[in-house]
Amino acid sequence: MRSMKLKIVFIVCIPVLAFGLSLVAGPKMINPFSADDISREILFSIRAPRSLVALLMGMALGASGAVLQGILKNPLADPYILGISSGASLAAALGIMAGAVFLGTFTIPLLAFIGALITGSIVGIMGWKRGGLWPERLLLAGVGLSFLFSALLMLFMSISNDEGLRKAMLWIFGDLSMSEWSKIPYGVIFVGIGVLMSLSRAKALNALILGDEFAHSLGFSPHKERFILFVAVGLLTAASVSLGGMIGFIGLLVPHIIRFFIGSDSRLLIPCSALIGGALLCVADIISKSVLPPMELPAGIVTAIIGSPYFLYLLRRKNVLSI
Amino acid sequence: MFSASEPKILELRTISFSYTRQRPLIRELSLSVGEGEFIGLLGANGSGKSTMLKLGSGILRPSRGNILLWSKPLHAYHNRDRAKLISYLPQMLDITAPFTIRELVGMGLYPYDIPPAMSVDSALEMVGLQGKASAYLADLSGGEKRRTFIAMTLVQGAGLLLLDEPLANLDIKYQIELVRLLKTLRNEKNISIVMALHDINMALQFSKVMLVKDGAILGVGSPEEVLTDALIQDAFDVRVNIMRQTDGSSYIHYGDNA
Repeated sequence: MRSMKLKIVFIVCIPVLAFGLSLVAGPKMINPFSADDISREILFSIRAPRSLVALLMGMALGASGAVLQGILKNPLADPYILGISSGASLAAALGIMAGAVFLGTFTIPLLAFIGALITGSIVGIMGWKRGGLWPERLLLAGVGLSFLFSALLMLFMSISNDEGLRKAMLWIFGDLSMSEWSKIPYGVIFVGIGVLMSLSRAKALNALILGDEFAHSLGFSPHKERFILFVAVGLLTAASVSLGGMIGFIGLLVPHIIRFFIGSDSRLLIPCSALIGGALLCVADIISKSVLPPMELPAGIVTAIIGSPYFLYLLRRKNVLSI
Repeated sequence: MFSASEPKILELRTISFSYTRQRPLIRELSLSVGEGEFIGLLGANGSGKSTMLKLGSGILRPSRGNILLWSKPLHAYHNRDRAKLISYLPQMLDITAPFTIRELVGMGLYPYDIPPAMSVDSALEMVGLQGKASAYLADLSGGEKRRTFIAMTLVQGAGLLLLDEPLANLDIKYQIELVRLLKTLRNEKNISIVMALHDINMALQFSKVMLVKDGAILGVGSPEEVLTDALIQDAFDVRVNIMRQTDGSSYIHYGDNA
């Protein structure tokens, strides 16, 4: 019990450290305690929003991976593999190209949320057979839809006008260097609600991992719980896609690391995956800023380079199909 | 069938159920479970045992008829309230879960805001798994896995356990161990238990048996009354002889079939 508390304290400290470090580190080291005016301006206008976006986005990815792997009882599940992210991206990109601004800075994340829900529903319908969700069917449906949505995105971009195209391109390949303070309010709201919703259903998620019949016997309505968790994943995916575009592997990778250290109880797994997801993206961002200055690598590339080998290692493991 | 004074926990009243429209799986089934009863639900594969247990636990809803839990319609209960009264354990031939035994048994507390009387530790002790609390499910034997989930139901505190083939794929030693444990629970905690099984020899050890075929009940009562050569031939489509010993015990003889 005591060692568990220590581990949790450790897990809470890591994102704090990573966040602090990502403020200080970069092409130019800034000491926040003896910063001149220019440095202070860089710190406040560039680095602080960027580090916050990295933290929030990583949290969204980590938590959504933990929830999806539980709902689907599959260690390979995350919003990217299931196509939910591409659906969210497509809806958001269409909004950007059309110049939609009806809800201010919340327009794009809301469109992404709708795209995520629609895609998730399609994947769910495709994966539903004989009264249950079939993980293999879900994954294949997700991969199929991803291809379709990427193709559609290319199609719309190739027929869109120059201004819309430029904006959408910037956004899709956009990485954390486009972070600004205006992203923080919706980021905090979407990620906050998504994580809290998931946490409030964490017991149900544990029961669902045992199976729908166990969940029912323990006093949960499996369909209702799965729906609530799915909406939470939609919010988290919409947030991550709107905050920084496509950054893969954090959702897949982080929950497995957390399981290794603190076990699979979703009440700890979800918040810890969120915290370490946030920390990992902050670290990836530090690396992307610092490896080849003044050039910046997109953080997505850094997480993929760390994540892909781990993904392959997972595939080789015998118990890869049990989470 | 039952004495009038015996309080009923669960009653299925002329219920019918089908997955598809063509073939009813359960036809006008009526059965009831009284307090402290230990019932073996015996039938061939596909006879409807699992479906009956799922209907009784509320996982499936009957297309016709009523199910009453403590005289109140089962589906009128809030999920969490029902979970405090009935616990259902599905077949777990290939169950995998990434949890420790303590975590699993602790899930029995989920329906509660205030923890009930039985603690996780005392439930683990009751099923003899106190030394395995930190082990993972995958590291346990088949018998220990079943006992883990029995401990979960103890923590859950339900007075009625519906168990779907808890003895399947267990070595005879673990089968006997598990039945002994369940009998102890019945005696000490007055828990009612209905368990599906398809081993006729095991059914002979029960004080009460329900014999099932094609979603209907062929007979209910003591093994002497129900497990007759003729009824077993009807239920299992095989000729057998039940050999009754002078000491009261009995066993099944397969005759020319084996």
